[in-house]
Amino acid sequence: MRRRRTPTAMDGSILDSLGQEIVGVMSPVSICMLLVVLLVSFLSPLPSSIDSPSSTPVTAATLVYLESPSDPPAKKLAGALLNAAVFVVLIAAVTFLLVILYYYNFTGFLKAYMRFSAFFVLASMGGSILFSLLRRFSLSLDAPSAILLLLNFSVIGVLSVFSPAVPIVVRQSYMVALAIIVAAWFTKLPEWTTWTVLLALAAYDLAAVLCPRGPLRILVDLASSRDEELPALVYEARPTASNHSVSSSPFPAASVELQPQYPVNFNPNANPNSEPRPNSSSNDSSSGPNQVDDSVVEIESLAEETFPLVSAATSISQMGSTQGDLISSAEQDDIFETSRGIRLGLGDFVFYSVLVGRAAMYDLMTVYACYLAIISGLGCTLILLSICRHALPALPISITLGVVFYFLTRLVMEPFVVGASTSLIMF
Amino acid sequence: MTVAAGLGYALIALGPALSIFVSVIAKKPFLVLTLLSSTLFWLVSLILLSGAWRAFLPIKSSALWTYVIVIVTSVSFQEGVRLVFWKLYKKLEEMLNAFADRTSKPRLFLTDKMQIGLAGGLGHGVAHAVFFCLSLLTPAFGGATYYVERCSHMPFFLISAIISLAFLLMHTFSMVIAFNGYAESRKSDQLFVPIIHMVAAIMTLINLAPGGCAIGVPLLCISAAVTLQYCWMMVCRRLREN
Repeated sequence: MRRRRTPTAMDGSILDSLGQEIVGVMSPVSICMLLVVLLVSFLSPLPSSIDSPSSTPVTAATLVYLESPSDPPAKKLAGALLNAAVFVVLIAAVTFLLVILYYYNFTGFLKAYMRFSAFFVLASMGGSILFSLLRRFSLSLDAPSAILLLLNFSVIGVLSVFSPAVPIVVRQSYMVALAIIVAAWFTKLPEWTTWTVLLALAAYDLAAVLCPRGPLRILVDLASSRDEELPALVYEARPTASNHSVSSSPFPAASVELQPQYPVNFNPNANPNSEPRPNSSSNDSSSGPNQVDDSVVEIESLAEETFPLVSAATSISQMGSTQGDLISSAEQDDIFETSRGIRLGLGDFVFYSVLVGRAAMYDLMTVYACYLAIISGLGCTLILLSICRHALPALPISITLGVVFYFLTRLVMEPFVVGASTSLIMF
Repeated sequence: MTVAAGLGYALIALGPALSIFVSVIAKKPFLVLTLLSSTLFWLVSLILLSGAWRAFLPIKSSALWTYVIVIVTSVSFQEGVRLVFWKLYKKLEEMLNAFADRTSKPRLFLTDKMQIGLAGGLGHGVAHAVFFCLSLLTPAFGGATYYVERCSHMPFFLISAIISLAFLLMHTFSMVIAFNGYAESRKSDQLFVPIIHMVAAIMTLINLAPGGCAIGVPLLCISAAVTLQYCWMMVCRRLREN
């Protein structure tokens, strides 16, 4: 007698686990954007104080032209373009410096510098955000306790970013916290400068990753030829069923592997142990037992590395709402995927959140439109990644779509929708 | 009026959507992606519509027929977008089935297809609620409230939240009905969705008359209930047949 059992929905359909990695990358991006929007809406300065030029910090992005609301639009546009050009040149210079340092094996210095800058971001910039929040909500917390909490927070952050022994959830949360802090700081830039800097960085990212002479491409090739990990801060979305050991390389926060033969498909999270490494020298002590067999190469350089280079030009003062810090970001952002999960550079998080934060300063409608545009750009890039299989810049598509949707929503859609819904006509 | 009131209005508009999301959609990442892409579709269609109508804004005349034209064109455009969405879904279904065959897993079940339809509809409904209701709610978190002249019975925020709730339910479940109608080629299902959408949109015109929202808003809720009932009967019939 033959028994045939038809599959039922209880057996589990393909819909259960499809797209898990993509959602695993999109949820931290969404959380980061949401928290930056909340921060921006709570900490936005009152309209009366916007006109004072002292509220705009002097940074690497405003070295040339400090925008004030009373300038004519042509001057603002010219000044913003100059600002963006200077910013991109600074970032390119710093990235080349990083490539040179990496080429001459100054890995100890790089590691120490990354630790220092992570601590600085968490303690100093995070601290200023904490204090403004305390002031805004009139929470009662005395100074010694606040400083103690802040120091503990920063130290654990530094430990979690670089040590492989910390649980992955803690490391992911600290990555998101770093991105939120840097993005919240970036939203203090004046409006025209923000948009031009974002577009210029998207173009630079495209060039730096895809051109053969681009600094990020050189960095990735160097790292992969040495079989080492990259000196970078990277968010790693681990799949839930991970059973790999932890690598013990000098830069455990990022790793570079070469791409294997994945089936070009929705689910790149195939059987992790099935493909052998193309390079066989995987067991030397410097790089450690890399648990990932396959991935696309990824590049990223750290933003805060520009600190010592340009901080001599400004004074770091902190009084009230004004801040004279000089910060420029050199976090380039590419994506690569490993069998551990897709990795996204922290620079991506920062600039996506900056775009959405700037949209939040206008209206909630633009926030939602920009959020959807960025997420769809990210989805497109991830799909391209599964087709192309090498390092891809994550900024260009999302930022372009985000800027386009922002201006379309603000100029075209809003009069229509607001007019309709205030008359209670909806469809 | 306060943060509590603002949150209350937001939850009136989005509460059922949130519960559908948490109970059905959040468990399967693919449905989350479907929701995001259908929201994007709706947004793009809204932007195109606004672009087409931008030159005529603001509509100064109080003649009824201008608003009727706006609504009729908007609804037909959105139903066209729904058809495009269906065609894309068919292609996606083929790819998914091919993938399932390759990895020797079962093909898409009927419940899977209905869930994808539900996620698509929920995307449309959430986009509608956010753009028509939530984006205007920011003043509600402050210290006062706002009444519209034509409808001074309830605060403006409350009315728009209730209308958004009705439309959310309608969008969500009419997508399920529409997918089913196109899959089975049943004319009754295929025609039901555009008709109820058009009827509901035209009923909002009743709100233009002073005091009209006392009639218009309950009628909208009734049409949402009709959609729910129709969808329920259709789903029961399909599941019993299977």
